[in-house]
Amino acid sequence: MAGLILLLLLGFPGTALSQGTVVVNPGMDVTALSQNAIRSIFGMRLRNWPDQQPIRVFVLPDQHPVHEEFSKQVLNIFPNQLRRAWDRLVYSGTGQAPIQVETEQEMLEKVASTPGAIGYLSGDWLADTVKPVRID
Amino acid sequence: MVCRLSRLLLWLILAFMPGQGAMAQNRWFDLPPSVQLHGFLSQAAIHTSDNNFFGETDDNVDFGFREIGLNGSWRILPRLQLSLQVLSREAGGGDDGDLRIDYGFADYSVIADADDLWGIRIGRVTNPLGLYNDTRDVAFTRPSILLPQSIYFDRTRNLALSADGVQLYGERRTDLGDFYLQLNLAYPRTDDPDIEVSFLGADFPGELADDPSFLGRLLYERNGGQLRLGVSGGMVNIDYQAGTADPLTSGSILFAPLIFSAQYNAEYWSLTGEWAIRRFETEDIFTRLGQRHVEVTGESWYIQGSYRFRPDLEGFVRYDVLYTDRDDRDGEEAGPGRPSYSRYAKDFTVGLRWDVTPSFMLRAEIHDVEGTAWLPFQDNPFAGATTKDWTMFMILGSYRF
Repeated sequence: MAGLILLLLLGFPGTALSQGTVVVNPGMDVTALSQNAIRSIFGMRLRNWPDQQPIRVFVLPDQHPVHEEFSKQVLNIFPNQLRRAWDRLVYSGTGQAPIQVETEQEMLEKVASTPGAIGYLSGDWLADTVKPVRID
Repeated sequence: MVCRLSRLLLWLILAFMPGQGAMAQNRWFDLPPSVQLHGFLSQAAIHTSDNNFFGETDDNVDFGFREIGLNGSWRILPRLQLSLQVLSREAGGGDDGDLRIDYGFADYSVIADADDLWGIRIGRVTNPLGLYNDTRDVAFTRPSILLPQSIYFDRTRNLALSADGVQLYGERRTDLGDFYLQLNLAYPRTDDPDIEVSFLGADFPGELADDPSFLGRLLYERNGGQLRLGVSGGMVNIDYQAGTADPLTSGSILFAPLIFSAQYNAEYWSLTGEWAIRRFETEDIFTRLGQRHVEVTGESWYIQGSYRFRPDLEGFVRYDVLYTDRDDRDGEEAGPGRPSYSRYAKDFTVGLRWDVTPSFMLRAEIHDVEGTAWLPFQDNPFAGATTKDWTMFMILGSYRF
């Protein structure tokens, strides 16, 4: 029975064992986000938290394996499709680009220290300087 | 002179940009996070077997196609963003490199949450037409060097890109997918040198003036864009004011396009198709020439497939068809002085894109064309000197930050 439950949990979207966990700045009062919210935050369409604080979105480079997994498994979008969506916003003036960091080390540091920040990290890099967020 | 200086300034700013990858933000200048600066620089080399395109390309290689742009956005308040893009564009006889504002507007979101985004944009707003119009001037957001000309004519590019007025927009995210609606109520930009020739057949002594026009687009996207379906269209109203010794009389022009768009994006390949009906009417203008009311409906469509061999290498194939008059597809009723092949164009294109770095892209494509319906008039002033079957080879290098 325990094995079955474990299996179910592992198959459950949002358990985020290898595809990257969404993390936010520890000062944030957020523990869970809906699928729509996650998509619209990383799609750069939702720009403010409910308290009107700007959302600072951090992402890894397009070809980083953690970014690819996060994009495909959590956002359900292919990385090049996501890039094209960002480009359309930026070059039509209707949105702004996410902030790109080069490594997970940098991601950890930025999310921990930037108010309103959101990003994603693989299991190896999760630390308690950032707050994980559940996806409903 | 001022235009030369400001273009030089644009070059200088872009020349000192660090090449840190496409979305590296604000590290030089230390801009606050609410401000972003992006830009791009594209240069092409073009050769045609016959006819001229964006320069003297007939049996020649011309470097007359160049785009330099800079855009800035500033999120002043949580719900208010200001955006501006300036561009210098050279395209042979059709565009002279002068600095112009492609878009510049204030964007206020009335409703903004996880499921909805509704608001208003005021200023010079981009025209929501088809899949590619609102970012047509940036090489990275086009699927090829040239957009399918049957729908995205380059010779009336300024008119098509943006208009001065108001845009109402709304986004709704549901479990079925995302819906995007944009409605423009604006004055069209009639400052393209080719507009008068495109609409009226020649450059006449009078002037074009813009009238309130309406454009709208509804887009549906599933899974962040795996499937995209859209319908867009509108009514563009332009007035003609006759000049002295003008064979034409003052009157009005109506241009009403309707475009259906579909795109499917898989991990390694994409398929895109668009179909447009373009109604064109004039009232009074050609009265002295025996036609008080002119009505012509054009038809355009294209189908395009692309394949990503590697994340940095993509090839595409496209077939693009234009009929200036859907009731005269072979152009036999073209009229005196105009060859029948000037009333249609069928373009088969093959091309390749290589992202050398995330910021620098190289593209090459070959067009095999029958017909000259979308040829820029400024590059080909004598219809009799054009050729029906022609090929065009283009290479483009583009940098962006």
